[in-house]
Amino acid sequence: MSDSLIDLLLKGTWETIVMTFVSGFFGFLLGLPTGILLFLTRKNQILEQPILNRTVSVLVNVFRSIPFIILIVWMIPFTRAIVGTSIGVSAALVPLSIGAAPFIARLVENSLLSLPSGLIEAARALGATPLQIVYKVLLPEALPSLINAATITLITLIGYSAMGGAVGAGGLGQVGYQYGYIGYDAVTMNSVLALLVLLVFLIQFVGDALSKRFDHR
Amino acid sequence: MIELKNVTKTFHQKDRIVSALSDVSLKVPQGKVFGVIGTSGAGKSTLIRCVNLLERPTSGEIIVDGKALMWLSDSELAIERRQIGMIFQHFNLLSSRTVFENVAFPLELVGASKNEIKTRVLELLELVGLVEKANDYPASLSGGQKQRVAIARTLANNPKVLLCDEATSALDPATTRSILNLLKDINKRLNITVLLITHQMEVVKSICDEVAVISHGKLIEQGSVGEIFADPKHELTREFISSSLHIEIPSVYQEKLQKEDNGNLNPLLKLEMTGKSVNEPVISEVSRLFDTDFKIVSAQMDQAGEVNFGVMLLELSGKRENYNAAIQYFNSKHIKTEILGYV
Repeated sequence: MSDSLIDLLLKGTWETIVMTFVSGFFGFLLGLPTGILLFLTRKNQILEQPILNRTVSVLVNVFRSIPFIILIVWMIPFTRAIVGTSIGVSAALVPLSIGAAPFIARLVENSLLSLPSGLIEAARALGATPLQIVYKVLLPEALPSLINAATITLITLIGYSAMGGAVGAGGLGQVGYQYGYIGYDAVTMNSVLALLVLLVFLIQFVGDALSKRFDHR
Repeated sequence: MIELKNVTKTFHQKDRIVSALSDVSLKVPQGKVFGVIGTSGAGKSTLIRCVNLLERPTSGEIIVDGKALMWLSDSELAIERRQIGMIFQHFNLLSSRTVFENVAFPLELVGASKNEIKTRVLELLELVGLVEKANDYPASLSGGQKQRVAIARTLANNPKVLLCDEATSALDPATTRSILNLLKDINKRLNITVLLITHQMEVVKSICDEVAVISHGKLIEQGSVGEIFADPKHELTREFISSSLHIEIPSVYQEKLQKEDNGNLNPLLKLEMTGKSVNEPVISEVSRLFDTDFKIVSAQMDQAGEVNFGVMLLELSGKRENYNAAIQYFNSKHIKTEILGYV
């Protein structure tokens, strides 16, 4: 393997990691509150709001149904307005975050739904306000499953970021696409593949360990 | 201390209306333990959850410590709920927090300082006897220990009232007794008014001062535990009382039990003492008056309030010609007597 290829792979790996984690972060920034909102406004929950719940739910479903590759292209004007460019790593972060957010919102909603309803009831009986219930009961109790949700999200984002590579987003995806699709280079191709697999395994391993660490059930 | 006036609760299920509570009124005086007993689905859970408005009644008034809760705003209600403790059948502890942190939870809600929290939590853990478990997670505790943590947690804000939602239903009999003793102790020592719901007559018998029987969302009977046990008006009440007393003929007796007396067998008597029975040492009286002897085969006697009640199996011997007179004497003292056979 030549030095230039190693450099290329290292750069690609770094870019993939940056895209995955940064967009994962922003995805959670948007998705976590949305998921909490979806949960709290459900029927029989503490902030029951059927109309708001249905509106947010429809919005989430719309964004989840757009294929990611279409989302990237569709969002180009918006991306340009936010980061000033529509190619490269920073440009990929915008659609990645927006693409991940509704997915995260649903995962968060499901995590909260799986908590025993008695916990909220007990907290209400002890005089907790809705805000206190969220940050003192729901989030800490759901933490192990929220970590699992983050793991799933990050792994999904690795896949999405590779798709982004096809439209000039950088990262391992672009390396694989360029060197594989245009003039099949088996060494580069397989190295990219191995690195992607390794990343996924690492994230899954760390995620599982963290989730277990915080699970006291 | 707690007053419910004409509380009604209906649920809308698909296209029909289910009435969970209809026109329920009750009054729990300060410092008393009040029990509501009913079978599952009778509405007792809805009833207790209406008291702190976890469930909002469709109509009626709820007054706790002089405050009409129905008219409070959400934030006023949250503050008022801190005066109303509650424990649950499934404990509802936070699994992500240690025992210490669980008890600290309500104190954090009111913004107590770290030092205040530490002193108060240790004091409460002392009260429920779990100081050495302070740093354990609930998952490693037994059911009884979890309920003790829940009790400590709910006492943290010094509530005036304690609501118990089937608090012992998930516990074994020995643990049930120890939790009931703790509740009684808290009631006496801290002068906290207790409202509990249960389907176990044992619970009512052992700690309640007053009891109400609920059936199909209505209170069908209420009064002091002594009164109810002494003179149950309703069939369901009678069933609850007799379900807490059961007696069987031991198998040795069962085998040699004869239907007819052949002239030298002893009658096997079943005596039922209810609240109406005279509170006197009747058996030794009968023994003396009619020259008869009693062998106690099996007995289950209990005390509810001032009332002594129970069932007893006796083998009667002695002067045969006085047997009938003896039985009549028992009956005259309101002890229901039945000859089960001869042994």
